[in-house]
Amino acid sequence: MTERTIAIDERLATDAGLHVGDRVVVSAEPGSSTVDTVRIAAIVRGRADPAEVARSEYRVRVHLDQLQQLLAYGDRVDRFAMLTAQGPATDSALRWINSAAFGFRAYRSREIAVETSKTFLVVSRFHRAIGMITIVASATFLLCIMLLKVDERRRDVAAMRLMGISRQTVVQSVMLESSFVALLGSAFGVGLGFVTAALVNAHYQSVYRTPLRFAIITPETVGYSVLLSLLLGIGAGALAARRLARTPPLALFGR
Amino acid sequence: MRFQLAALSLRRHASRTLLAMLGVAVSAAMLLDMVMLATGMRESFASLLGRTGFTIRVSPRGTLPFDSEAMIGQASEAQAAMYRIAGVTAVAPVLGATIHVLGHATPITAFALGVDPAVQGDYQRLEGTEPTAPDALVASDALLAALAARIGDTLDVAVGFDPQLRTYTGRRRLVVTGRARFIYLSATDRAVALQLGALQAMGGVDRSDRVSLFMLRTAPNVDPEVARAAIERALPRVTALSTAGAIAEAEHRLSYFRQLAFILGAVSLVVGFLLVTTIVTVSVNERIGEIAVMRAIGVSRWHVVQQIVIEGIGLSLTGAAGGLVLGIFTARYLNSILRGFPGLPDAIEFFLFQPDAAFRALGLLVVSGIAAGIYPSWRAASLPISSTLREEAVG
Repeated sequence: MTERTIAIDERLATDAGLHVGDRVVVSAEPGSSTVDTVRIAAIVRGRADPAEVARSEYRVRVHLDQLQQLLAYGDRVDRFAMLTAQGPATDSALRWINSAAFGFRAYRSREIAVETSKTFLVVSRFHRAIGMITIVASATFLLCIMLLKVDERRRDVAAMRLMGISRQTVVQSVMLESSFVALLGSAFGVGLGFVTAALVNAHYQSVYRTPLRFAIITPETVGYSVLLSLLLGIGAGALAARRLARTPPLALFGR
Repeated sequence: MRFQLAALSLRRHASRTLLAMLGVAVSAAMLLDMVMLATGMRESFASLLGRTGFTIRVSPRGTLPFDSEAMIGQASEAQAAMYRIAGVTAVAPVLGATIHVLGHATPITAFALGVDPAVQGDYQRLEGTEPTAPDALVASDALLAALAARIGDTLDVAVGFDPQLRTYTGRRRLVVTGRARFIYLSATDRAVALQLGALQAMGGVDRSDRVSLFMLRTAPNVDPEVARAAIERALPRVTALSTAGAIAEAEHRLSYFRQLAFILGAVSLVVGFLLVTTIVTVSVNERIGEIAVMRAIGVSRWHVVQQIVIEGIGLSLTGAAGGLVLGIFTARYLNSILRGFPGLPDAIEFFLFQPDAAFRALGLLVVSGIAAGIYPSWRAASLPISSTLREEAVG
């Protein structure tokens, strides 16, 4: 009789010091009399599946009949996965199974995905809420800093006004400066974001031993944050500059 | 005098002060929320596990309770062995299975727990009587609502389906004797509890003398860890987990939230500190001349430092107070989002307000506000008086 083979996951191979070609004894329960000696034929890396990320259990793939024998499960399976030609073929297959096979229930993969992804929808909603709070906090911080930055220019603004430069030009120049500062800050922030995301990924990938990426910076994220900081910078600059431009130059000098 | 001067200085730039306070309040709220998140899960999970007094959970080797479909065989023998271990006062066997309630257009599926009603920690009976007879069960409100059933009704229940014979297996008629709240399940879960022997018998040979887990009580003077180790020595085919171990395992699984809380909490603290530092530094720089005049007329350096530090404390304290209110509201909102996790037990709260931890965190923010004011104030108070006055006068 040919020797049966199994595939084990990378984490189990590392932790137990197993290699391809090693022989191991498998059983359904410790101490069970039903055992099987098998050869490790492959070491596989788990998929980047968020549903399994917090589960630290090991995975072993065995042949169906071998598992049925080990578990004394008889000719039974938990579920079937079916490949259909897309569209109407899927609908008719679903109708046929659900009407003909009494006691079974066929689902579309999409329906199952919706059901199993509920956890991630909750996490996603939580992230969005935390993101909103962070945006409010950083917007307030940015607004504060920009107001202070512009306020520091009161003597320069006073000098410009005394030289005869129009209010509009003063406001525009201050706004230009604040938008430049905001843009520079955003560029630094984007860089910091990439470094932080890399650190977060490295940390959680090692904690959960998964290739899953936990933090992803998309062009949309970069665009959104740069736009937000630019708008806040310009807004704060305009607000402070208009206030300064309306104040008499000598008052700005403290006279 | 110092307080008055500090207040006047803050009021001089009202919009800036208001914005800084708002910034500190948002940072404080975030910090508070993250402290609540970091401690809340642990505390509520510990309270959930400790509620019924069971200190050890025993599951098939290498698994956590109800983490897989694995079962412990020869359960009676294992139960007897556990009773022989010193300090073990009660052993509650539990078998989990899926049941189908028939007699409706489509069978209604529910989670069934086979228990010993005299020693169980899985449910709290709300109404009716315990399922002491082999044909009795107690059901959750969600299941009773789905079935439109009441106490006293008889249900047609099966545990499986044989596709070859096209018949339900393990079919029995069971009477609803009570209504119960299942401690480890969510309010929306459809569940029943019945006698262990009845559920084992319904499962046939597959479930004969098998259980999913045991829950154990230990004597108050016995360290559960010692009893846990003794169980694993006596029964090598099981994994025993003390409440502390279960909490550690849950923390590992939910470490993402704890670490997120730590990172965001630290960022909030830094942002709060930076905000107060910036405001105080700018405020001091603007008042260099004023401070030099104060020093010239004999006001002590220490007095100047105190006045500026009081400004920092004022900003931090007001921000922290606002943050406390804001934080509690946002925590409720965030908790309501996370409570949406499917199958989460009712007793689990992600954000738990614990006065000690909350006030420690806000205290840290106020201390950082004090620290933020010390350096700029000391630097301003230490400037040479005559040259500063001259520079300020010339402009």
